This record gives sequence, structure tokens and C-alpha cells, in this order.
Amino acid sequence: MGKTKDELYSAMSGAVVDMDEDLSVQLSREAVETGYDAFEAIDQGLTKGMERAGRLFDEGEYFVPELLMCADALNAGVEILKPNIKTERQEEKHKIVIGVIAGDTHDIGKNLVKLMLSTAGFDVIDLGRDVPPSAFVEHAVKENAKIIMISSLMTTTMDGMADVINLLNEKGIRNKFKVAIGGGPVSRKFADKIGADGYSSNANQAIKMVNELIGR
Amino acid sequence: MPEIIFINEQKTLFVAEGTTILNAARQLGIVLETPCNGIGTCGKCKIKIGSDYFLACQKSITENIVVITENKEQENRTLKIVSGGQSFSYQLKPFISKQFDGEKTVVYGGNAVLGTEPENTSELCYGVTVDIGTTTLVVAIIDLSSGKEIASESRLNPQSAYAQDVLSRIHFASNNEGLKLLQHVLIDALNEMIGAIADKVKISTKNIYEIVYSGNTAMLHLACGINPKPLGQYPYITQIHGGEHVTESTLNISPFGVIYLPPVISAFVGPDITSGILASQLYEQKETVLFIDIGTNGEMVLAKDGCLAATSTAAGPAFEGMNITCGMRAGNGAVERFRIADDGSIDVQVIGGIRATGICGSGLLDMTGELVRTRIIGKNGRFTSQKIIDHLQEKDGKKTFFVTDEVFLTQNDVRQIQLAKGAVRSGIESLLTKMNLMKNEVNRVEIAGSFGYHLNEKSLLNIGLLPVEFEGKVKFVGNTAQSGGTAFLLNKDFRTKMIQVASEIQKIELANNEDFEKLFVASLGF
Repeated sequence: MGKTKDELYSAMSGAVVDMDEDLSVQLSREAVETGYDAFEAIDQGLTKGMERAGRLFDEGEYFVPELLMCADALNAGVEILKPNIKTERQEEKHKIVIGVIAGDTHDIGKNLVKLMLSTAGFDVIDLGRDVPPSAFVEHAVKENAKIIMISSLMTTTMDGMADVINLLNEKGIRNKFKVAIGGGPVSRKFADKIGADGYSSNANQAIKMVNELIGR
Repeated sequence: MPEIIFINEQKTLFVAEGTTILNAARQLGIVLETPCNGIGTCGKCKIKIGSDYFLACQKSITENIVVITENKEQENRTLKIVSGGQSFSYQLKPFISKQFDGEKTVVYGGNAVLGTEPENTSELCYGVTVDIGTTTLVVAIIDLSSGKEIASESRLNPQSAYAQDVLSRIHFASNNEGLKLLQHVLIDALNEMIGAIADKVKISTKNIYEIVYSGNTAMLHLACGINPKPLGQYPYITQIHGGEHVTESTLNISPFGVIYLPPVISAFVGPDITSGILASQLYEQKETVLFIDIGTNGEMVLAKDGCLAATSTAAGPAFEGMNITCGMRAGNGAVERFRIADDGSIDVQVIGGIRATGICGSGLLDMTGELVRTRIIGKNGRFTSQKIIDHLQEKDGKKTFFVTDEVFLTQNDVRQIQLAKGAVRSGIESLLTKMNLMKNEVNRVEIAGSFGYHLNEKSLLNIGLLPVEFEGKVKFVGNTAQSGGTAFLLNKDFRTKMIQVASEIQKIELANNEDFEKLFVASLGF
């Protein structure tokens, strides 16, 4: 087909930004057929496209629907490439447990954060919505996750986020986890007040924030 | 301890160093707009110290200061609040009646004797309807003998000083101290309003025997002094059910006066909607009618042949001009109408005919609608990349639509409107699906609420808050919480009827709908 590896990866990235699922699939097949490393194709091609989409989201150029369609295009390509990843190449992914705090059932924002973190290569364990503070702690311990992420859209349920941190303190395991929070009524100030380690105002910033928390 | 002086309000307070100006204002009961609940993001609590502007929620008090706030009295006077709403004809059959027995006048509530008054006072028989909205209060005195409204007044709900939106208010009132405070300021305001309008039409408040409380479920918890905490936590359970008289009355009316609470439909569909269903006679309609109260919490009811389904959507405060950069309430200086002519010139109507200082809800929807219609905003909500109109300029590197140098609409503002209208639209779609109806089967759309009254159909269709199939079917019905409340006051038979209607309504919780997320995302585009 006459494309260099860089050209192909850049086209894959473009297919994701342009929300073109079919093209993403086609180019991913091309990468497999040419014999390029599947892991590298995801990392240098598709994921780069998602990063660009995230930047456009930050700039107000893209909105939620565009971000979801970009993720669809990325995932369609990943489906093709994934079975071809040589197992020894798979590095241990950072684990995150995420959920909407008890009393709250609004999970669209949380789902978007989960999606963005997954596309950025994190292993995200979704506890769902209306999640009791104790369940955040139990699952984080059980899964050996390093990061706990809590979301809330209702002012009336925000205090539950502080309860998660208090529980960690009571159990003497606070320093084993980084706790990050987000959601409509949540602010940096509130995060500081309850002693959370991280706060992000949107799904794309969440990736940057988590990367900082784990020091990469 | 530093002293803070609010010069316009003529109030002062000594506070601990580090207290924010907002906290001081709240302690004094001074209302500052805080749609973001004081986290420093919305910019609406701006105040002036000397010639500099600060956000009251972010500015700590470290020394004696004099603060200048915007004059709320002025805003209260110019604010556009609709007090009347569509109604229907019904028989005059009030719950309260009076009879002179030759010596004294007996006051009846239904068949029971509520009390007696010396001499013949049977001509003096009044009731009051109260619409307790999160943002506004509307009070009207009704002559129970003639059925006529004789006076009304509206103002901002003073509880806003402590917590602006409904959830913050539920949170604030989740402990006894907060609850008592919010109940207290509300009852004080209602007493003041009732007293003032009674004075104006020269009647004695002692001759007011019944009050009907319309309003959303949360506000009625607060009015009745009932802890609203369960409303703010899944599964969102109401502690009051209405359809009865409230036992405790703290209002300055007749010593044996009573307060009636219309049936509550659910935690987020309250007696204001029950009153609306009554005023619009939704349960009697042979046609398919969609009734929507467009506000922070978009409540809606779909009716077909006596079958009713209701839901509410978290639209957020964008429609009230909050969380919008230049957003403001519908007071003097607000852009309320907006049109783009064929030659690209803009036609702007400002409340009070003065220089524009901001954009209110109706102006926002008009602007967005016109920008979408003329393709300056694309289907995906982005400002177009070409500069096809002079008003579209870059501001801090981002496309912004300027009405004047100081009043503009940013890309992020458009995103907020998309979220709000997407919430309402997905609620409509969910109700239609639930009742197995196509969009074109809807015969009429009734838009209620004092905010809705100022909107125009074209804008609602242009931004896709309503589907195109609803074109030509939209009717603005005004404050039906008030007109329905009056119907409850004037004909006691509606009380039994509406208990039945409210219990039979299908209550739909959108969060439990598995496809809701998809539907919501699909509803974000224009």
C-alpha cells in the first residue's frame, strides 16, 4: 500500500480524531497484515488520536458526542489489533476503581471518565453508581488498585466522598491509595477540604491528573 | 475581629478573620447569586470594594471593609415573574364557607366548624394561593365568595441567600438548624407579602381562612418544616404526600385558618405540577398533550386519553441564565429577544430598553436558536470556522459571539445550553417511548412556568429542545402552579379527584432507564 509505518500510524490517529470507525478498522487490519507490532500500533496510532480528541474537547471544539464517537473508532481498531498483541509485550496496567458515590445515580460523567482512562491504557474497575463508601475501600483493597476515583453530581451526596477518605484513615491504609474526585458540584477547594489527592473538572483532564498522581 | 459593612443593605457584621464575604452575607440574610454554590466558577456573586470587583465566595475578610452589592430591591422590582396562568371554568365550591346565625358568624372548613367570629362577617371570606418556587415566590389573595383574584405579589425566594439551587437547599436543610432557618425566612417573607397585599386592597388578614401551597416538593418540605434529606439521596423519597391540610400553621391569617397541600406526585414532580395538571385539565384530554415546566428541573407530563406519565430531568440552571458567562435573570438590562436578519444584522431587545448588561434565559434560547438557524453554530454545537458575521470574534483564542462589547456568548456557554436542552429533550423522548407514542401523534405542547412564558416556539424548535414535529402546536400557559392552586382553593371536589390522578400517574425515573445515556448523548446536537 506504500505507506511508511509513521504514515500508517498517523492515518490511524486521524481516523480516531475524525470519528471514522470504518477507516480505523481498515487501517488496523493493514497494520496487522503488514506485520507491525500490534501494541505499538495501538500506542502510537489509535491512542494518539484519542489524545488529540481529548485536546479538542478541552478547547471546546469537541463535545461529549464527538468524544464518544472517537472512542468508538478507537475501540473498533483495538478489537482488530488486540488478538495480535504478543503477550510478553503486555505490561502491567495501573488499576483504578471508579464509581458514583452512595445516594447518587447520575453516572454519565463517571462513564465518560472511565472511557477516557481506559483508552489511555488504565485498567478501570467500574463499581457502578450509588456505591457505599465501604465498597470503594473493599474493592480497592481486593483489586490491589492504586487509585480510587469518586464522582457525584448532587450536592446532597458529596459528603460521602469524605467518608471514603475517613474509612481509609481509620483502617490505617490511607497512604496505600490515591483518591481523586470529580463531578458537577465538586471543586478543587472541596477536594482540598476533604483531603483528596486529585481533582479534575472534566474527563480529559482526568487522564493528566491520574498520570500526575502515579508520577508518570 | 474585622467589620464588614454592606452599604446598600445598611447591615454590618463582625466576623472572624478569613471569613468569606459570601459567608458574611449569608449570616446577614443578604442574597448574592451563587449558582455554583460558592466554588468560584460562575462569577455571579461579584461585589465591589472601592472600585475593584471581587467574587464574594473567594474573597476573605482580613480587615474592615465596605462592600457594595448590586441593588436587589431594584432587581426585585424589574424582575419578570409571571403570576397568572391558564385556567378553565369550574363551579365555585370552596372548602371554606361562612354563615351568620343572627348573632355570630360560623366559619366552616368542609362540614366541620373551624371557629366563630362576632357579628356578621360572612361577606369577608378570603383565601390565598402561594407558589413556592426555588427561585421565586408568588402570592395571590382570592375572594372566596366571588372566585376573583383581588391582588398578587411576587418576589425572589429569600432562601436563595443561603443556598441557591434546590439540591444545595436540601443539603442546607438536612440538619435541624438549617431547616429551621430556611423555614423561618420563608414564612417571614410569605407573611410580609400577604400582609402587604392585604393592606393594599384593604382587607384584614384575619379574614383569610385557607392557604393553598403550590410549589416543588423540596420547597414544600421546607415550608412545612420537614427534613428534606431523603429527597437528595437515591431512591429519592418524598416525606410528604399532600392531599391534606398541614397541621402546623405559622402564617398570620385567621387564628383558625388552615393550609392545604395539593397531592405530591414524587420527589421531583411536586404539587406545582399537580396544580398544572388540574389547570390544564390533562386528565380530561382526549388529545395527546405534553405539559412541560421548563426550569432548573424540567418536569413534564404526557397525557393521552386520561393516561398520564410524568418525569423530571436535571436541566441545571442554564435556562435561568446561571452558569452562563453573561447570563442573568430576566431583569432590567437583560437581552430577552434576539434575531438575525437576512442581511446578517442583529436585532436585540433588552428589558427596560436600556443598554444590555447580560442575557436572560429567553434571550439565551433566542440567540442559540438564531445562531443554529443561520448555521453560525453547527449541528455539533461548534461555532463555525468561517467568519461569516462581524459579531463572531475571537476572545482569548476562542470563538465568541458578541452582542455588544460586554455581552457575549462563548463556546462553553453553548455547551451548557446543549446539556440543558439535551436533558429536557431526552425526558420528552423517554415519555413518548414509555407511552408508545410517535412524536407526530402529540397534538399540543403546553409550556408552563414563569420562565417558559417568555420563550418563543421557534427558538425551542431551532435548538431541538422540542422536536420539529411539534411545530405550530406549542402553547405557553403561564404560571399554572398559581392558577391550579386557585382551582384547589375554589372547588374542594378537585382535592379528591387529584389525589386519585396523582396516584395513578406513571412515575418515570430516567436514571433507571438503561438507554438513557445513549438518548441523552443523541439529544445534545442541534
